[in-house]
Order: sequence, then structure tokens, then C-alpha cells
Amino acid sequence: MKYFWTRYLPSYPSVLLYMLQDTEYRLGRYLQWYFRVRDFRTVMKRRTLDRTKKVKLLLLALWILTIAVVLAAGWLTGQALATAQYELLLLAGVVILLLPFLLAFGVTVPLFVGWLLIQKPREAQIIRRARTVLRDHPATRIAVVGSFGKTTAKELLKTVLGEGLHVAATPGNMNTPIGISRFAHTLKGIEDVLIFELGEEKVGDVRRLARLTNPEYALVTGINEAHLSSFGSLENTISTIFEIADFVEPTKLYKNEDSALVAKAKNKSNLWFSTKRVGDWRMSHVETAISGTTFLMKKGKETMRIQTNLIGTHTVGVTAAVAALAYRLGVPIATIEAGMKKVQPFEHRMQPRPLHGAWIVDDTYNGNSQGVAAGLEFLKKSGAKRRIYVTPGLVEQGSKTMEVHQTIGSQIAKAADVVVLMQNSVTEHILSGLHKAKFKGHITIVENPLQFYTNLDQFVAAGDVVLMQNDWTDNYQ
Amino acid sequence: MKQTIAVYFGGRSTEHDISIITALSSVIKPLELAGNYRVIPVYITKEGRWVSAPALKDISLFSSGKIDAFLQKAKPVQVTFDGGFALNGTRIDVNFPAMHGSYGEDGSLMGVFRMAGIPFVGADMDASVIAMDKVLAKQVAEANDIPTSKFVFTTRDAFLADQPGETKRVATELSFPLFVKPAHLGSSIGITRVTDSDELHNALEVAAHYDTKIIVEEAVPNLIEVTIPLMGNKHAKPALVERPLATGDAFFDFENKYIRAGGKKTGGSKHTGSQGYSELPAKLPDGLEEASTATAIDVYKALGLQGMGRVDLLIDSKSKKVYFNEVNPLPGSLYAHNWRAAGVSTVELVKDLILLAEQRHAEHAKTATSFSSSFLRQF
Repeated sequence: MKYFWTRYLPSYPSVLLYMLQDTEYRLGRYLQWYFRVRDFRTVMKRRTLDRTKKVKLLLLALWILTIAVVLAAGWLTGQALATAQYELLLLAGVVILLLPFLLAFGVTVPLFVGWLLIQKPREAQIIRRARTVLRDHPATRIAVVGSFGKTTAKELLKTVLGEGLHVAATPGNMNTPIGISRFAHTLKGIEDVLIFELGEEKVGDVRRLARLTNPEYALVTGINEAHLSSFGSLENTISTIFEIADFVEPTKLYKNEDSALVAKAKNKSNLWFSTKRVGDWRMSHVETAISGTTFLMKKGKETMRIQTNLIGTHTVGVTAAVAALAYRLGVPIATIEAGMKKVQPFEHRMQPRPLHGAWIVDDTYNGNSQGVAAGLEFLKKSGAKRRIYVTPGLVEQGSKTMEVHQTIGSQIAKAADVVVLMQNSVTEHILSGLHKAKFKGHITIVENPLQFYTNLDQFVAAGDVVLMQNDWTDNYQ
Repeated sequence: MKQTIAVYFGGRSTEHDISIITALSSVIKPLELAGNYRVIPVYITKEGRWVSAPALKDISLFSSGKIDAFLQKAKPVQVTFDGGFALNGTRIDVNFPAMHGSYGEDGSLMGVFRMAGIPFVGADMDASVIAMDKVLAKQVAEANDIPTSKFVFTTRDAFLADQPGETKRVATELSFPLFVKPAHLGSSIGITRVTDSDELHNALEVAAHYDTKIIVEEAVPNLIEVTIPLMGNKHAKPALVERPLATGDAFFDFENKYIRAGGKKTGGSKHTGSQGYSELPAKLPDGLEEASTATAIDVYKALGLQGMGRVDLLIDSKSKKVYFNEVNPLPGSLYAHNWRAAGVSTVELVKDLILLAEQRHAEHAKTATSFSSSFLRQF
């Protein structure tokens, strides 16, 4: 109640639209965020409202609604005073009291109606047409599925197969039915290989996307607690990801043995990949540094010398799986090796950059506990003068939030000299893990992450390695 | 609980503007980012007026020229000596002078802080006085067997009273080429390199315009110029040996230091401006890095520097002899830049400097300042 008055600030309508924009107009997430906010002055931290045409229209509607409600309250007050019906004064007060909620919920009405009457039918049509396009396309299709590591696998496939073949892959995070359908409409029909990233948030998502894309091969990159809040349980996550097994032959389904939840799952076939093997291929001489990763792959008399610019031993399994798949698709070894050398770190995923003699490893797009463990393993062995670890923690860990973050705390204690935590709801759990593991290094808790990131040069010195993992957008606190 | 740190900058000095940049970029910003401190900026105008307001932390106030209008409205700071030190009624825990040159770096401000009995960053009053007088500093160095290039000094009064005579005296005692410097100024202001008596006379005139005391030094042949930042009270810890690089001019003047170098004191990159303001760490012939560091530590100790300081040395690369040139008790942003290359971040650096100030203050507190006697009873 202390900050209720912030709902009456002139910036309130803009803040509501910012929240809608930041949650990509997903009404469920918007409303969840809305109910979490106490002080509406502190919502817009990372960026400002992007005043698109849609936003301008909605803003105008909100202001018209505000003025209408204020006028109505004024009229009620006037009536109350003129007619001595003082209960109308009470009504006017209630109207003013409810105004913020009227605006917050009212703005969802046109969006919902627009989605129901315009967007949904239009999207259904796009998806229907895409189904035909994809059904008739002659290319080999590869699906990438998993809670984490999808982008890495997809980009590796695209770069390596692209050395000898005409390849197209779903861009960015276009991993929903409408995203993939829009991608399908960009195809020219001459592609040799199509790579699809299949997103998952709830049970049935992978099945829906597999029906749309009809993959011949698939890579299961890993399973973890991501989207646990929307899945409800890890069992649901596992069964959803393995929906892909109903569409791909067992010998064409590459599964990450290093991911404990994938390894334990049913529908086992012989086609596993890990840091040690992929099917019949065996890996050796694995080395990783800030400059990249190298290893050998051997099968019978065949040897592949793999060298990428990716950081961390956790990249070995998926890199090897891609190399093995490329080989299976007939790409010559020399071409695979040349393609691998072109693989660059992906944006915000273990992406190194120098800063005043220090190395900053940007892994802020990472959002899972396996990525945290892999990053910390790299930091531990980095040989840096000072190993600095920066994180806000992980989001969407559901009932496992405390356990996951305590584990992260104990992992940090073994890998870092300095830890910088962004103050939020999971900080205390990470601290608890650090204390339990008797962390002896220095702990800094930052209240303003943006200020920290933009002034990183003031915090680092030559010889440091700074690993920045995960980043919380404004809708997480 | 956050400590309150007052940061002083500007001042009645030719290095007024440099001091503003040092304070805003290398002191106030990292102090605020450290999260442990409440920072109060104290701007000392060119006329010596003290003002304080949060807006003074913003460089745009100075770069936009709005500072003049701001100062017209600003109220002077009220300073209270109340068994401690307070500004506008706010108790200050530690004073952080970010001043360069006269009335700030030369011991004046340190005297005020000593009187107040408050911890302050950097050298104490006596060491600051010596360090900021190039003649005194060299005399102290010589007395401690630290080599310096041959020098003589004169005063403004002596020079103005007999300009040809003083010029001749200097020219007779030393061998050209020479460097003529105002004895108390930093940032290479008023320095001239001369090769004959006519140039010497003009250079003495220039130096006399800036200072009451002038030092004239013989140039070191086969010169390598290096600078070494140090930190510590009882034990001086060196950062890296750095070699400033001029752009073909005869020596490293103000233009080279701050203008062509892309404003390094503002945190500019060494790849901007003069295409390589300094070589860090300096690539020196065998043994010279160690010899330079040892000389810098000797100078730091001999002059009684504490907290921080930067020692500039001249090396004859043929004879491999290292000479003390001058010392800077409150160095600017280059100091932080060097420490960062040595592995100490800017945030850590300001925290360490505050800790050193507190340690020295605690040490001083152990010294008795009263003596019981019956002296007054006889009156």
C-alpha cells in the first residue's frame, strides 16, 4: 500500500505499455508482472518504451479512458454536492480508487480481442500454408530440441553444413509455430538442408512443431529446469522434449549423454553424444582456452581435427555431434574441419572480449544450471590472476529455485575469487550456498545491474577473467 | 553504514581543469561504484571559493560552460572544525584531495586536514611541500644518495633584478641543452628546452611568469623517460614502469600529455590522439626496470611520501644510469590507468587509498600531542 500512489503518476500508462511490450504482449506474463510490482517508478530500468504505432494507439486509448473516468468522478462529485446525495461522493472515490486497475486490465481487452479476431486467424492461415511449403520441400530436415544449447547446436550445424551444402536455419528465437511458419515462407525451395530450432514451454509443444517440420534427424541438446513454472514438473519437460522421438528414427536421434536428465530418459538408442564419444566416434586431446577449443575425433581409420572459437569443454559434445552428422550427410572431413574453424562464439554466449588487459566472457544469454556449471568450470581452470563471476541467478526455476541457487553458490565457491551478485529474490540462496561452501573470496552485491555493466571498466584490471552469466530483464525481480 | 568521503578538486592552480577530470573520472566515479561510500564533491573555484552540490559530479556542468551560472547561485561551503571535520553540517569520514599544483597538492590543503584531525588520502603536509618543490625534492634526493641530473635554481626576484647576470650564471654553471622549469608546477606547464643563452633568457622569463622559484637542469643524454606509480605508507608498492612517448617533439610537454594524447587523463585510449601516449609496461634494456623501480622506492621513502605518489625518472640508456627527475604526490588519471594494467582495478584502488589514509591517521593518533607541566602556574 505504501507505493499505491505511484499508480497515479502521469507515467503510469506508459509503464503499463512498457510491461506489455517487454513481455511481448503475452497477457499472462504481463499480468503476473503487474501483480508483482509495488513501486511503479522502478519498472523501467533497462530501456525506455519503444513508441511504435501500436503503443501510440494504446497510449491514446489509456489517456482517453483516464480522462473519461476523471470526468465521471468529477460529475459524480458535482451531482453529490448539488443534490446532497453524499453516497455519490463515495462512488466517485471508488471510481478514482479503481482507475489504475481499470487501466491495467482495460488495456488487455483490445489486445485480446485483436488477437482473437485478427491475429489468431491470420496466424492459423500462415501456419496452414507453411505446412504445405514444408511438406513439399525436398531438403533434409534437422530439428534441434532441448531446454538449453539449442542456439549453439543450430549455429554449429548451419556453419559447418553450410561449407558444402545450401543450408537454411530458423533465425534468432523463431522457434514457435508462427515463427517457424514465417521462416518457411522465406525458403526458396533449393535448400539442401533445413535446420529447425523447436521451442518448448508446455506439454505438446515439440509434437506440434515436429508435425509442422517433419524432421529426419534430431539433436536433443539437454534437459533442465528451464520453464519449470510453465511445465509444472520435470517429468513434463522430459516427456515434451522426447516427443521428438515419435518423429525421428532412433538411429537418427542424437542425444546428449552429458545431460543427466537426457541420459536417464527412456527411448534409449545407441546414438549418444558426449565429451567422450558420438556414436562410434571417440574424442581425445580436448583442450579449451579463451581462444577456443580443440579436440580429435577418431573412428576406425578416420580422424577429424576439430578447432572452434567456442569456449569451454561443454561445447565438445555438441560440436562432435554436429561433425558426426555432417560426416554422415556426406560432407568431406576437410570441409568439416574448415567449417568448424569458422565457428565464432555466439552473441552473449561464452563470448570473450578484451577490456583493459582483462577478458570479459559474456554468457548473459545463458539461463540454465548446466550452462552455469560449464561456465564456472571454465573460470576455475582459466588461470586468471583474479577470477570474477557475475550473475543475477537463474529465472523460472519454480519450486527448485532455492535448491538450484544454493548449488550455484557452492559451485561458485570452488571456481571464483570474486563474486558479484545482482540484488534480487534469489541472492540470499546463492549467498547461502557460498557460505555453506565456506567461500573465502570477496562478495559484492550490486543494486543497479545496468550501472555495473556499463561501468565494468572501473571494476576490472589486467589479468582478470570476468564471467558474466545470465541477465534478468525488468519483468524479473 | 556508508562512509562519507569528501572529494576536493579544481583550485587556485594552473592545473585546475586537469584536477576536475581526475576527480570526476578517477575518484568520484569509482568511489560511487564501490557502493561503500557517500561521496560529497567539493569544487574549489579558480578564485578559491569552496562549493558543494551533487550536480558537481557531472562533467557536463563543466564542459557545457554552465558552471559559471551555477557558481553565481551556489552558496559557499561551511566548514566546521568540531573535533572532526564537517561540511555544511555533514561529518566527513575521509577527505580525498584530487588536486594538482598550488593550493592543493603542495601541502596547503593537507595542512587544513591535519588541523582538523581527519584522515585524508595521499601524502602528508611536509612530504607534499617537499615533493611539490622540484628544487627541495632534488636536494632531499641528493642527500639520500639518489642520483639527479645536474641543476641550479634561481628566484623570480633574483632573475628580475639582474636578468643578464642570472642568465649568465646559469649558463656558466651548467652545460647545454638545458630544461627550464617553474619549481612548483606540474603537468609540464611552463617548461622549456633550451640550447643557447638567448633561449635560456626567454625560458627563464616564461618560468618566472608562472612561479617564484625556477629550476634549470642539464638534459640527460640518450634519454629514456619513465614514470612509476607507487602506493603505501610504510612500505611502497610499485605498479608498472611506464614510458611516456612524445610525438617527435623535443620533450613531453602539456600538449603531448593532455591534448594530442586524446585526453588520456579523461580515460581516453592510448590508441587515440598521439598514437601511443605511453608504453606500458616499458620495454627497457636488461636490468633497467629493476633499477628504476628500486630508485622510485628510494625516492618515495626519502621524501616521506605516503598513500600514493608517482615518481618520474630519467635514464641514460648508454651508461644505464637512472636519475630522479620529479615526483607527483597526487597524480592524475594516468596513475589509475597504470594500476589497472598492474592488476588493481580503479574501484579497488580508491578503496585501498582510503584504507591507507585511515591507517596513517590511526598511526598518527598514537603520537602524543600534549604534555603536562606546571609551566602555567608560575604566571
